[in-house]
Amino acid sequence: MTENEGIVFDIKEFAVFDGPGIRTTVFMKGCPLRCQWCHNPEGLSPRPQLMVSTAACVHCGACRRVCRHPDACIACGECVPVCRGGLRKIVGTRWQAKALAQRLRKDADVFRMSGGGVTFSGGDPLLQWTFVSRVIDELGGIPAAVETSGYTSDDVFRDVMRKCALVMMDWKVSDPEKHRHYTGVDQAPIRRHAQFLAAGNTPFILRMPMIPGVNDTREHFETVASLAGGAPSLVRVDILPYQRAAGAKYEMVGKTYAPDFDESQAPKYFLDVFDRAGIPYQVFR
Amino acid sequence: MTNRITQLMHFQWEQLHHAARIHLDPEMPLTYRDRSLSDTMRTALRLRQALEMETPYIFENELIAFTRTVPNLPRIFGDAEWAEITGSHFIHELGNVSNLSPDYASVFSRGLLAIRETLNDCELHRAMRISIDAVLDLTRRYEAAAREKGYTLLADTLARVPAQAPRTFREALQSMRILHYALWCEGDYHNTMGRFDQYMMPYLQADLDAGRETEESAFELLEAFFLACNRDSDMYPGMQQGDNGQSIVLGGMLPDGCDGFNLLSKWCLRASAELRLIDPKINLRVNSKTPLEIYEMGTQLTKLGLGFPQYENDDVAIPALEALGYETQDARNYVMAACWEFIIPGKGMDIVNIGALPFANIVDRVIREHLGECKTLDELKEIVRGEIFASVRQSVEERKNLYFIPSPYLSLFFEGCLENEKDISLGCKYNNWGLHGTGVAPAADMLAAVDQEVFRGSLPAEELLEALRQDFVGFDALHDKLKYHCPKVGNDEDAADSLMSWLLDTFADAVSGLKNERGGIIRPGTGSAMFYIFHANELGATADGREAGVPLPANYSPSLNIRLNGPVSLIKSFTKPNLKRTINGGPLTIEFSNSVFTQEESITKVAQLVQLFVLRGGHQLQLNTVNRERMLDAQVHPENHRNLIVRVWGWSGYFVELDKCYQDHIIRRAELSV
Repeated sequence: MTENEGIVFDIKEFAVFDGPGIRTTVFMKGCPLRCQWCHNPEGLSPRPQLMVSTAACVHCGACRRVCRHPDACIACGECVPVCRGGLRKIVGTRWQAKALAQRLRKDADVFRMSGGGVTFSGGDPLLQWTFVSRVIDELGGIPAAVETSGYTSDDVFRDVMRKCALVMMDWKVSDPEKHRHYTGVDQAPIRRHAQFLAAGNTPFILRMPMIPGVNDTREHFETVASLAGGAPSLVRVDILPYQRAAGAKYEMVGKTYAPDFDESQAPKYFLDVFDRAGIPYQVFR
Repeated sequence: MTNRITQLMHFQWEQLHHAARIHLDPEMPLTYRDRSLSDTMRTALRLRQALEMETPYIFENELIAFTRTVPNLPRIFGDAEWAEITGSHFIHELGNVSNLSPDYASVFSRGLLAIRETLNDCELHRAMRISIDAVLDLTRRYEAAAREKGYTLLADTLARVPAQAPRTFREALQSMRILHYALWCEGDYHNTMGRFDQYMMPYLQADLDAGRETEESAFELLEAFFLACNRDSDMYPGMQQGDNGQSIVLGGMLPDGCDGFNLLSKWCLRASAELRLIDPKINLRVNSKTPLEIYEMGTQLTKLGLGFPQYENDDVAIPALEALGYETQDARNYVMAACWEFIIPGKGMDIVNIGALPFANIVDRVIREHLGECKTLDELKEIVRGEIFASVRQSVEERKNLYFIPSPYLSLFFEGCLENEKDISLGCKYNNWGLHGTGVAPAADMLAAVDQEVFRGSLPAEELLEALRQDFVGFDALHDKLKYHCPKVGNDEDAADSLMSWLLDTFADAVSGLKNERGGIIRPGTGSAMFYIFHANELGATADGREAGVPLPANYSPSLNIRLNGPVSLIKSFTKPNLKRTINGGPLTIEFSNSVFTQEESITKVAQLVQLFVLRGGHQLQLNTVNRERMLDAQVHPENHRNLIVRVWGWSGYFVELDKCYQDHIIRRAELSV
């Protein structure tokens, strides 16, 4: 990872939930958080890695026969084409900033006519901010947005707010101790950056992943209301209910999905808090 | 939806009216088969017998009457006679006139009695008179039945139409229902319904202006008419149930150049969204000036998973039809045939699906037979060009001495048939033929792959050919490269897209100047109809990395086994060719997962995609919303999914009523969805 080279794990056209208009979302690899409910485990590590759909594997052994690094996978990808089921792939592609910008600029006309643009998501795109920032510089004025945890330095976050037309930032857990337990990181910088957003003039959306038994409390909604209430550039709050399919991809990257909350419960909502505070919101069901 | 519509719908959905259907007695005398009778007279007498056998069946709270209780009668020819005819003629499909758009308004606006007055004693006119009398006789019996039930308004309506011109929206709809019903009974099929919003609007407007109907009561009539279109559709002939051709066309330029989108166009979209039935299938004509709001109305239907509307772009279609020789006013009045072919209502006897150019099969054959002897892509393309020309010529030469069973009743709806005493089966103002073009995207992908790997790369031709013969077994790395690392149509890569443009241009060049035996021209298209199943079965593994047994894409769509960037690239790829040259019809299809629509703002975004397609010069677009899990469950538990609607190749049908090969194809397409 450098200013000129970044690692991308997906580029999705017509990403309808990542901001206004017709947008392309670039998923940057690597995230500083380890949220227990993360549904993109292939976005966590900053390095390219092998991903295998184990469920349909017939154990023919073709991949083992060609493997030259049986002790430690280096994501060389030599086993990918030999799989007759097409079950193996390398996630994480190195892109040069200019080349990625060129790929995105080809659809500038579409972004313009629809009021859309490009969204950088992840992982957390701020982990590779110098690269992302460079790509944005090369976009020729296409509006850029980010989807971020907000966990970064103050300088980077100020830079993000200067360069982006929209910032979508998660507010995951209000209680600082629980925050560290469920996400693995300190909440303080995230809270500070939420305050930056509330005081600034970059349009922003706060996103609340709703996890049953973790953050589906009245206090959590009240904290969001106090952070966002009255902020002139708040677009709305997005409420994202927990998806039970979240664990599906863990086995594919050699991990185990083991959340310590009861995922069979439906999360509780306290929308009356937002209604009373006059905060616009949208529930993704 | 009013209570009355809910009741009618329930009754129909439970198929309670099927109890009134009769079974034909195999020993029944078929007097119309008398050897001394001409084919024209036989058709009229068979229609009369079919209608005489009908017993009026009126639903509770009926608004628009006429329900079939008699299945299709045996054909007008015995087996031996038919064998003699087929031995010496080219027979298209079942041999009946099909896939046309009758000019209903020209008949109901005069009334059958006024038309009957003009008939003379020539054979065609005598057959027309028999047909008209049979329709009016059944209408009188329906009128009596309605009166007996105490449905005075319905009885009065039937006393008026179709004998005389309708005065109200209700009368116009009822007249249309009767006239359309009788077409099916004559044996004609894929009887499309054309510019319904145009020919019905004057009656609706007059009622609203005069205060005869409220908006609510008139809308109820429209919904009742739509319901009636679904009553008997399981009895109509088609490749699969649902393939019945009951399409309507909304909006679009009028013959005088004005825009035709009106109140009724809007109502039709709304009624279809409320009823969620497979008929009528809706086409929406648009152009570069169409406001986003109209695309949004259409997208509301897409969201429901109905598989329509299908969009047609006037900016491309009208000049393209003019270039083929259609008069300007006729070109502006175009409608859709059963699926997606462009035809002219009341004037065209075009046979729009008489054959198909199998792009993928031709390119595959040329690669297998000639790759080794070519040094450049241009040399290979030259051979492909020759094969396309040969295939097209052969298609036309094989189709000589056409015979259609006459349709004297249908002839009432076509310009000049009555006046010239010439049955529609013998031709009309336009007598062009259409050829589909199947598998153009995989064909371009094959050429792009051999260009990159063989001509510009280091792959020996013989190694590629051996890999194809072995269906890639033992050629894993090569297979991976061909399938995932070569340019593909649909990803906005000029290397592949330019080859698709070239293939379509070559098709247009090949048909240019050819004439069919009726003096018409040959129209090239981008459709597939059911040929995507047939042609794929004839193929082994192909140079684009497609394994043997993988189906071809339906219509004008990307290969099924590739990785796609997404719908923006897809639209850009498929709007690069000059589609004005291949206007027989055949849409780009894009599948959306139903999860796209969980937020209301997605309606606008999908509408903007459609608009993008139109602004970039696309000719025809069709969107599906699919739920893969639901389809898989429906294969196991069909009883739980009777109302699951899917788009097949040019029409929407109920998933559980399709043959498994079509179900599987739709599930495979869903795997590529956005």
